[in-house]
Amino acid sequence: MKQRFISSVPIVLQLALTTVGLTGQSYPGKPQIIRCRSLEKETFSCWWKPGSDGGLPNNYTLFYSKDSEEKIYECPDYLTSGPNSCYFDKNHTNPWTTYIITVMATNEIGSNSSDPQHVDVTSIVQPDAPVNLSLETNTSANLSYLWAKWSPPPLGDASSNSHVYHYELRLKPEEKEEWETVSVGMQTHYEVSSLKAGVKYIVQVRCMLDLGEWSEWSSERSIQIPKERLPPEKPIIIKCRSPEKETFTCWWKPASAGGLLTKHTLLYSKEGEEKVYECPDYKTAGPNSCYFDKKHTSFWTIYNITVRATNEMGSNVSDPHYVDVTYIVQPDPPVNITLELKKSIKRKPYLVLTWSPPPQADVRSGWLTLEYELRLKPEEGEEWETIFVGQQTQCKMFSLNPGKRYIVQIHCKPDHHGLWSEWSPEMFIEIPPDFRVKDMVVWIIVGVLSSLICLIMSWIMIMKGYRMMSFILPPVPGPKIKGIDTHLLETGKSEELLSALGCHGFPPTSDCEELLIEYLEVEDSEDQQLMPSHDTPIKNTKIILKETDSDSGRGSCDSPSLLPMKCRESRSLPSTLQTQDVRAKEKKVGKGSWDTCCAASTSERKTLPSGSIKSCTWLAAQLPSNQAAMFAYHSTVEAFKITLNTTNVNTSPVLVGNEESRQSLYPIAETVYDDLEKISEMECAKTDQTTVQVRQNEHSNKSPFLNPKLMDYVEVHKVRQDEEPTLLLKHKENNGKTKKCTVPGTSKEYTKVSTVVDHHILVLLPDQRSQNTPVSQESVAETSQNPPQSQAEKNTSYSTTTPSDSRRDTSGSDYMDPSSFMPSFK
Amino acid sequence: GLLLAALLVSHMLLTKEGVTSMPICPSGSVNCQLSLEELFDRAVKLSHYIHYLSSEMFNEFDERYAQGRGFIAKAVNSCHTASLTTPEDKEQAQQIHHEDLLNLILGVLRSWNDPLIHLASEVQRIKEAPETILWKAVEIEEQNKRLLEGMEKIVGRVHSGEVENEIYTPWDGLPSLQLADEDSRLFAFYNLLHCLRRDSHKIDNYLKVLKCRLIHDNNC
Repeated sequence: MKQRFISSVPIVLQLALTTVGLTGQSYPGKPQIIRCRSLEKETFSCWWKPGSDGGLPNNYTLFYSKDSEEKIYECPDYLTSGPNSCYFDKNHTNPWTTYIITVMATNEIGSNSSDPQHVDVTSIVQPDAPVNLSLETNTSANLSYLWAKWSPPPLGDASSNSHVYHYELRLKPEEKEEWETVSVGMQTHYEVSSLKAGVKYIVQVRCMLDLGEWSEWSSERSIQIPKERLPPEKPIIIKCRSPEKETFTCWWKPASAGGLLTKHTLLYSKEGEEKVYECPDYKTAGPNSCYFDKKHTSFWTIYNITVRATNEMGSNVSDPHYVDVTYIVQPDPPVNITLELKKSIKRKPYLVLTWSPPPQADVRSGWLTLEYELRLKPEEGEEWETIFVGQQTQCKMFSLNPGKRYIVQIHCKPDHHGLWSEWSPEMFIEIPPDFRVKDMVVWIIVGVLSSLICLIMSWIMIMKGYRMMSFILPPVPGPKIKGIDTHLLETGKSEELLSALGCHGFPPTSDCEELLIEYLEVEDSEDQQLMPSHDTPIKNTKIILKETDSDSGRGSCDSPSLLPMKCRESRSLPSTLQTQDVRAKEKKVGKGSWDTCCAASTSERKTLPSGSIKSCTWLAAQLPSNQAAMFAYHSTVEAFKITLNTTNVNTSPVLVGNEESRQSLYPIAETVYDDLEKISEMECAKTDQTTVQVRQNEHSNKSPFLNPKLMDYVEVHKVRQDEEPTLLLKHKENNGKTKKCTVPGTSKEYTKVSTVVDHHILVLLPDQRSQNTPVSQESVAETSQNPPQSQAEKNTSYSTTTPSDSRRDTSGSDYMDPSSFMPSFK
Repeated sequence: GLLLAALLVSHMLLTKEGVTSMPICPSGSVNCQLSLEELFDRAVKLSHYIHYLSSEMFNEFDERYAQGRGFIAKAVNSCHTASLTTPEDKEQAQQIHHEDLLNLILGVLRSWNDPLIHLASEVQRIKEAPETILWKAVEIEEQNKRLLEGMEKIVGRVHSGEVENEIYTPWDGLPSLQLADEDSRLFAFYNLLHCLRRDSHKIDNYLKVLKCRLIHDNNC
């Protein structure tokens, strides 16, 4: 079974092949008649190109008919003109007949015929090219002639060799492109004159019957036209050279030979000798040279050298060449070049070059002294650096660029005269990268960076030096009153203010430290509580938070650490007094709104740690002097304007609630409201977080109660240690009340406003422990001192503060030491 | 710090060098004489310099006055020192006895004493003679005298026996330098300079050979 199966495989394959073969077969392609040509108009031949054979052997049959007959003939002779051709011999050729010829290819499958070709014998005549072209030159009387001979084209039929051809000849010098064509006629030879001597010419001929076309050009023949027979030109002595100052060689350029054999002879005579010698050695130094060995070489002697070129026509002698061998020494390049990298003590690599003089040069005897020059460049470089090194045979190269590959070459020259040798072969040396340099670079970078950092640091120090200083070394605090408005001072009568205040240095903080808050006069009024906006609590809390955050960064004035200093004296006050103060306040605030305020204050007080602010004492603003009152008046006016300009708060609600006479002022108070509240809150926030919270609560509680009519203001005239602190509840109508109550000069107690609670309660405290309060309180106190004269007792005093506060928000904190105002009060 | 140290070290080296610099009279020298090597060194330097000057001068003159005049062809066999038979190639130079060679050098140098003096004066008469040529003529004349002195010293040191009679060849070329015909006069100068260049080179070459032979034992 298995065998049978195997044997069946080839059968299957065979079948497959045959089917493929069958499928690949087809009838033959269309043959094409290429040309028909008559060589001599008596016979003609046609050639065709077979089409595709269709995979099968094809038979080609040529049929022709004559225009005069209907009959179709087959080709008479398929053989004479070669494959795929048909030859019509004389008998089948009629020059007066047009032949219609087709070729049919036939195979097993089918047949295919070419397009018919119409042939007129006379129009297809083209003979073959002439043959047997031969050329000769002849020279007579110094003129060269060219004699060309050829034979007519051979014909297969020898008998028909009687045709008459016309011939053309063309010729050109070998190196040129353009042919010169000559019509020869019916001869089969031609003589060309006026040729150029010494030039090689190429000649071709072609022929034509009396009708038909020119034949192809015959095959080329060339011939050298001999030169005129002249003696040679002058040879030229090119140069003479001595490679080692012992022998020398001269070379010459041979004279142009003119086709004749020319012999060159070198002749020389030496200075001091009459005799002329011939070159001792033509061979050693190659063709066209003469070598003078040691015996024939003298120095400090001029050689007169000439070269004579001789041929059969004569000879020519070169110009004499005068040579003193001393001056024509050109050594060979130095040899044994070594490049070595060495490291100096500093580990910087340097290159040591050594070389030897060329072996031929005998420098040891002193007969020849060589000087050297070397050149080098980085491999990719363009310009060579050339270094003359004198007679030494070594050189050290420093300061090469590390990490680069250098090319080095050396050449040499005799000490005085002569020529530089050729450059020695290129030598390469790679300078290893210098790590020391890299280290240096790193260090330089580090140095630069660190100095940069230092610069930046110092710059920062300069820019923020004060803060940095205070951060590192907390400065001694100076008491300040926050809230003096520079704008106010500028626009108002600042001179008056200052003079009134009696503090000549402005800002007065530095001078007046000792006067620190003998009195704090605070006028609180209901106006402060006027028109709290509903969102104030929220605002306040935000602000408070901010303040607490940024407080530490403030200058000495703000710094909480200062406060104990300011308040040192007041610390002696017993806590009871403070509580009493608060109580007094409570008593005097009879109205419901005040109650709540008081409650708030007390609750606040309770929340505070025992050491911290327990009460805020406001000294009632004393306005005994007219000056102060005047000033206050002005300032309020100014402030009013400012507030009107700067703050676009709706004033109408305020007016409603406020007193008839003071209506104009209320808007100010109202506009101020927010700011003031903020300030007070901010200040209080500094004191303690708890207080802030308390106040916030109060705010929320109080907001419904806010009503201008309900508001009263409290003027704290004085808080004394020994006396009962008095808080006067002041009504707006009570002009001059404050005056009565205050005896500022005598009291030495320091009181401060710790907080302004709910804008109408001032938490006053003796200075002793209030760490965080003073700045804000001072500002309030300050502002409270400036009511207009006529309305000093009224809320207007409050209103004066407002612009400054608003100012403070925009322009940052301005601080006024309250003590600066004291003298005017005294 | 490193820099400072380097400075210090270099300073020390310098001072050390200063201390150990060659004394005027090298130890071991007789009568505070220069060694033969030193003498030869100086002589070679001098001859090198003289030849440098003379060949520069020749080139300048050639460029300026001799172009296209074919002086070189005429300048054959006309050096006044030609009568002194000097070695003409390396072998001759090596074969000649060093005393003879020294004498020859002396002879050539002496032979040039006179013409150099005249050259230095006559060269100033050349039309538009450049300063460089004038200066060189004077310089060569002076240096030639110095070299002659030095060579006499060397010869005195080297010579074992009696000093030979002073040999030199007289120069009678002064009239030619004063010829009225400019071309002839210029050729006279040309020839003189050409001979000077040749002889100064001879002397320089001989001295170098002698130095290598006597001082370095033919192993320069």
